Amino acid sequence: MAAEPRFAKSHEWIRLEDDGLGTVGISAYAVEALTDLVFMQLPDVGRQVKAGESIGEIESVKAVSDFYAPVSGEIVEVNATLPDDLEQLGKDPYGSGWLVKIRPADPAELEALLDQPAYEALVQSEQH
Amino acid sequence: MAADELLAAEAATRGRPLVRFYNWSEPTLSLGGFQRLADARATSGVGGLALVRRPSGGGAILHGSDLTYAVAVPREHPWGASAQLLYDTFHAALVRLLRERGLAAAQHPGRESAAADQERLLCFDRRARGDVVIPAETADGHKILGSAQRRLRGAVVQHGSLLLRSPGPGLAAHHAGLDQLAAAAGTWEPRQLATAWLEAVAGSEESTGVVSGYVFESGSFLTARRDRLEAAAARFASPVWLGRR
Repeated sequence: MAAEPRFAKSHEWIRLEDDGLGTVGISAYAVEALTDLVFMQLPDVGRQVKAGESIGEIESVKAVSDFYAPVSGEIVEVNATLPDDLEQLGKDPYGSGWLVKIRPADPAELEALLDQPAYEALVQSEQH
Repeated sequence: MAADELLAAEAATRGRPLVRFYNWSEPTLSLGGFQRLADARATSGVGGLALVRRPSGGGAILHGSDLTYAVAVPREHPWGASAQLLYDTFHAALVRLLRERGLAAAQHPGRESAAADQERLLCFDRRARGDVVIPAETADGHKILGSAQRRLRGAVVQHGSLLLRSPGPGLAAHHAGLDQLAAAAGTWEPRQLATAWLEAVAGSEESTGVVSGYVFESGSFLTARRDRLEAAAARFASPVWLGRR
């Protein structure tokens, strides 16, 4: 059974799956803040990334934003259909709106991320 | 673009917003961050124009008749929290300023479908929520101010363009500037307008408890960072950047 998602302060989530891969997406809060998405650029499969490194960009009607690798590792899969169906990000940000799958290089990095209550507290603090 | 990238780094370092106003040495089309270069080049009237690509989003802008601004805001600053807040802070202030001069300026509510707008090359042919328009015979009015952002890790950069003069024949001949729409409201000298605009921003509701005023800096912090500026300029001038999409 997949673990509960953990969150980066930059609003990406990662969920460790049974096969040891980490599924990565953007939190519902961040997707809602972006509004009216129009374009997304995903990373290449096989790319080695470090935690906190930009792995892609997403454009809304008025802003271009990066999204970041929550942990270090190798990009082993991308959600290739997502750029053509960006509504999935808003409809199901923790399911069909996933972005990439990473093979984590260091499991300890996952533990350093925020759990759900801590992330919700971060969101609360950003809203005030 | 390079100067605005350094502006963002400087704002993050100083922990407060920085604003730059500038104009252009020749008519230039700036593409939005992910607009297709081929689409632009295939558009009638683009040939012969200088081309650059902004890091910010939105549609292409034909510069040369406008007052361009960039505001850089640290991510932890209250203005950096929301894309719409920063957009509205500068746009609503301009609306108030224009209304004080008797113009019926307003912020557009935005079109229902953002997707349809993406097919339009030019920013001033699009309507996003908060764009500044002057009412006209059409419901969409004449757009005179549009802005777009690049949200970086440490700072947000918002680029904007205020159409001072009608661009004249060519690509944007159908756009009307302040000179045409508001001739009776006085002259629109860029420096005076920029100063009045900053005063309106500093006095706005969005600035209460956040920004107490503004100061002009003589000279430029950019001169002390010439090496970084030149390196960034080379990156933005490269075919790789211009043709990224």
